[in-house]
Amino acid sequence: MAERDSRAPFTAEASWFCCGAAWGPCGSAGGGACGNCKSGSRHCAWPNTSDACYAITRPDRCGDDLLRRTCGHTFYVKNLCKTTEIAVKIADCGPQTDLWCGEESCCSGNCATNRLLDLTPSAYSAIGSLSSGIMPVAIRS
Amino acid sequence: MDILGRRRFLSSAVLGTTATMVTATTIGSVAPEAVADPKLDVEAGAPDPNFVEGRITGIAGGLLIVTGSDRTLNQIHLTKATSVWKLHPTTADAAKVGDGLYARGVRMPDGTLAADAVWLNIVNIQVHITSIGRNVMHLDHHGDRIVGHVVTGTTAAVYNNTPAVSDLSLLEVGRHAQVIGAWRPDTNEVDVATVYSAA
Amino acid sequence: MAIVEWFASTQQAVVGGVLLWASWFKLVHRNASANARRSVLARIVGTERVGAAYRAVGVVEALLGLMLLAPPVLAVEAYAAAALSVGMLGYLAYGKRKAPDSSCGCLGEKHAPVRVRGFLRAGLLLVLSVFAATATEWWPVNSPFATVGLVIVELALVVALSPELDRRWLLPLRRWRVRRSHPLATHAVAVPVESTVRQLWTSAAYRSVVEQLSSDLLDHWDEGEWRLLTYAARTPSGQATAVFAVPRLAYEPDRVRVALVPEEKGVLV
Repeated sequence: MAERDSRAPFTAEASWFCCGAAWGPCGSAGGGACGNCKSGSRHCAWPNTSDACYAITRPDRCGDDLLRRTCGHTFYVKNLCKTTEIAVKIADCGPQTDLWCGEESCCSGNCATNRLLDLTPSAYSAIGSLSSGIMPVAIRS
Repeated sequence: MDILGRRRFLSSAVLGTTATMVTATTIGSVAPEAVADPKLDVEAGAPDPNFVEGRITGIAGGLLIVTGSDRTLNQIHLTKATSVWKLHPTTADAAKVGDGLYARGVRMPDGTLAADAVWLNIVNIQVHITSIGRNVMHLDHHGDRIVGHVVTGTTAAVYNNTPAVSDLSLLEVGRHAQVIGAWRPDTNEVDVATVYSAA
Repeated sequence: MAIVEWFASTQQAVVGGVLLWASWFKLVHRNASANARRSVLARIVGTERVGAAYRAVGVVEALLGLMLLAPPVLAVEAYAAAALSVGMLGYLAYGKRKAPDSSCGCLGEKHAPVRVRGFLRAGLLLVLSVFAATATEWWPVNSPFATVGLVIVELALVVALSPELDRRWLLPLRRWRVRRSHPLATHAVAVPVESTVRQLWTSAAYRSVVEQLSSDLLDHWDEGEWRLLTYAARTPSGQATAVFAVPRLAYEPDRVRVALVPEEKGVLV
């Protein structure tokens, strides 16, 4: 069991999701699990915001022991290939970690495993390109 | 310079040299942080001033008028240095009124956004594949039905994060998948750019 | 007419069988209480009482099912089953309007929002119940083999109208058909641009300039064994274009080349 203590930096894969009054097919249309999520703001989704959330995302099935972090908690995230770090607040529950156990993303030799964070389009595009779909990141609290 | 001429010029620049890396000495010794990075100034949870989301409600030359989901109006400049994605990299004239948009750039003093990158109708959805047909996949997205169109030459599959291929025959009915695609506005259909799936 | 009578009496078995199956699912199935909480019923009676309400419905279905299957043949049993189907149609209509994301909670545990097939199934059961009301003979009495055959056919029809049971037969059938015919395998095998871009990301050449890149992919074209990809870049000396040459037909990220071409000036690298 890899303990991901989010007080210390850890690596993971991050994808992006839309929320708020969004156009097009959007899984978190509406404010997301925390009620205030917006595609244009620096928000993120975390797999362990509550018991109900954890029951859906089940990161333990991938061997990840994630700390409980509730709505409003701030993470600092950077793309493993770059130095830019951004700050995001938890505004939703996600991603569906246990569907992608063992998946790995790399950028020039730096790799990360398992989907543990989802970012809004605003946050994701600040450190990567939306067309990439998924990227390896380093996360700290 | 026309587009073909520019391509020839750029080709010779990169193929005429055997350099595989750009080192700090060749581009000047200025540290990366000195290039002012607007992305670092945004607070967690705050709206991002250098990012726009919404739908295109007007086009005037190289200017896009976009109405956001919170009803604010934004004007976006497109230049030759702006990348435009609409299922694949394309040019500014691909933008149409009604397209959904995400844009990242630099906010100008006059309130407009000088765009570095624009993504039109891009969606990233977690789905289950319910059926596969010729040129099409039927997807279940949180209980809603979405039709995914396969576009020859563009649609690619990534199995277990190995290099992308155009061979989609390993996609299985009943499996979950991640789909990056271009939404066809005001429908439940998308053109599929990339499908991520376990093989 | 003998055939009509035979058909009508067989419906006792079909309707009774479906009711027993529905009741088993509500009373005996291990996920019954979880399914109850996700169903439209929870929206009607509230989550505290839904467990009891769900089981009560199950008991009614079980009793009616048993009465229909067992002798004597009484029209009132079939009318009661018809009334249950009418109630079912009302329940589905309420669910479609007020709780479109909730599951029917009817015949299977897979979450299945109320759709057209559900209405067709309830309507079918209503019609079959009315037929059953006209029967006078107990169902196994007349032509038992033909009866069993008809029951199987009609139960298959009920299954086909049950979206919550799709994953047991429809998805495996589709999977088998796809494995045989590979409908998406006829597309020309060419290296997609996506593949080249992902090869680029793993290269040292990309890493060396990634901090200066300001845009997503601007342009791409093929030249011999190379695919060229361009991005806009912001360098300390000003705006530039980053051009990458990536091997098109091979996976060799070490061979990727890069040049930063300033706007309107000579070549930097």
